[in-house]
Amino acid sequence: MAQQANHALPAGYQLDEYHIEHQLSLGGFSIVYLATDREGQFVAIKEYLPNSLALRGEGDIKPVITDDHMPAFRYGMKCFFEEGRALAKLSHPNVIRVLNFFRANNTVYMVMEYEHGRTLQEFIQKNRAVITENFMRNVFTKLLNGLREVHSHKLLHLDLKPSNIYMRNDYTPVLIDFGAARQTLASDTPMLKPMYTPGFASPEHYHQRELLGPWSDIYSVGASMYACLAASAPQAADSRAEKDRLVPAMVRWEGQYSDQLLETIDWCLCLNHLYRPQSVFALQKALTEPVEKPRPPIAAAATNKKTWLDHVVGKLKGKAGPK
Amino acid sequence: MKFTIYQESRPGKRPNNEDRLAHCYSRDALMMVIADGMGGHYYGEIAAQIAVQGLTEAFQREANPKIHDPFSFLNRAMLNAHRAILDFTEAHKLDDSPRTTCVACLIQDSIGYWAHAGDSRLYVIRGGKVLTRTRDHSRVQLLIDQGVISEAQAAFHPDRNKVYSCLGGRQEPEIELSRKTPLEAGDVVALCTDGLWGLYPDDLLATALKRENLMKVVPDLLDQADARSGPNADNLSIVAVRWEDSYVEPGSGASSAVHTRTMPLGAITTKLDEFGRNPKYKTELTEDEIERAIQEIRSTIQKFSK
Repeated sequence: MAQQANHALPAGYQLDEYHIEHQLSLGGFSIVYLATDREGQFVAIKEYLPNSLALRGEGDIKPVITDDHMPAFRYGMKCFFEEGRALAKLSHPNVIRVLNFFRANNTVYMVMEYEHGRTLQEFIQKNRAVITENFMRNVFTKLLNGLREVHSHKLLHLDLKPSNIYMRNDYTPVLIDFGAARQTLASDTPMLKPMYTPGFASPEHYHQRELLGPWSDIYSVGASMYACLAASAPQAADSRAEKDRLVPAMVRWEGQYSDQLLETIDWCLCLNHLYRPQSVFALQKALTEPVEKPRPPIAAAATNKKTWLDHVVGKLKGKAGPK
Repeated sequence: MKFTIYQESRPGKRPNNEDRLAHCYSRDALMMVIADGMGGHYYGEIAAQIAVQGLTEAFQREANPKIHDPFSFLNRAMLNAHRAILDFTEAHKLDDSPRTTCVACLIQDSIGYWAHAGDSRLYVIRGGKVLTRTRDHSRVQLLIDQGVISEAQAAFHPDRNKVYSCLGGRQEPEIELSRKTPLEAGDVVALCTDGLWGLYPDDLLATALKRENLMKVVPDLLDQADARSGPNADNLSIVAVRWEDSYVEPGSGASSAVHTRTMPLGAITTKLDEFGRNPKYKTELTEDEIERAIQEIRSTIQKFSK
């Protein structure tokens, strides 16, 4: 059967105790709605609806799931429960809060807090001028507070990227979409289907999933920071492993941001997981260190660089060294 | 159910023993509990006693012969013990509420369920290795998780005795529930207080408890611990069970054990799956499991939305 897009529940539909306002987003596995609860508060409701397995026609409420697809549909539901379980335990201002979880229309729904804002992805596309040194440090330090909370519950996010980071209107970030999150210490959980986004997933996401750890989320944080500066995703880790064409942040934005910030980004983006910051705490420490003013590319720096280059070239040419 | 169980508590070099432990079982369920009391004027002992007694009484009331909802039972019984300690504090007009750690484990249908608050631990040991253990609710464990200190450094950290969750404190305890853990024959489940685990790294403890005769192994372990510990040795307590049944998937028949002695000589039973994939191997959620998963998530939401 060809993949078709599912139809969303109609506006005004009463779903359990919630009143559907409109669809917020549509993904391969779920639809997210804006809704209001009994008190008229806005909430976001995520509906489990994998479009290859469950089909809702126009004007229908209950999706059709054929007997053939039922086992796979139920298996996917397990993953949806994992996400619910992961989020239910977390109560932190920088992590999306789950408010309710229920069953209806042959599927399951997760109710989450809703706040005005936009994803970091949209934000960096539209507000290039705001991406200053201070913005980067503030947003990511706060975001890391949330990630620390996630890791302290022995969970990994595993799909961190600008489109999974929500920016409230007061510029505080919130981690959303824990669809890939996994309990790391539960050895009895079979490894579920890998889920990742090229450019943001760490090298161990691809082939060595037994090496996944806090450092894998840290790679994704580094990639997200890089994407903020570049306004596009960095080269994917699997292709970097073949031929690394990623220009280090230190080279690409020298002088525009502090060396220390750029070094930190490159540190997170090390292909070898052992060379990255090993904990969120270590990374946060680097981000909160006193800022050295960005060094403008003045003559002194340029000369230094030149002499260093001369030195190498000189060596290659077999000369004794710089003049 | 078939199992071997052994429990013992020793004062170490302390004038009194503030550890309390118990186990009790019905035809189809076994519960073990251990508590390590804290607080001056011997009141720590009372807190531990209230906790252990509260849990065993709850078990005696509700195990007929199984516990209906193990996790909710453990959570409720531990919260009730917490409130009972607060009531005691109130009734005796104590300035400082006595407190206690608590870890309790329920085994039925060869599935282990446990809950804990504080730094008394539960280990599941399989084949001489630690299959899983509880994470302490202690400041040092947080520091380890954050990568600030190593396990080895934690053993000598000045804050190693500070717990952030316990029964009887001013704050509601954080009661951490385990996952449902199917047990296999030969698995050892051990609950112990910090007086004991503080002296043994995980792997040493696991190797020690691997040997078959629990009735001898555990007293030996305590003898050794007594000898190893210094002049200020803490109370030492352990309750350990060696489980002799294996978890059997529900729906695979009331008894899957095969008794070959009744078979006629020369008869051979062959069970061979047809070529290709057995459709039963697909992991499918049952209606019941869906309901339970939703209930579990809802109760977690409730618990953490204070």
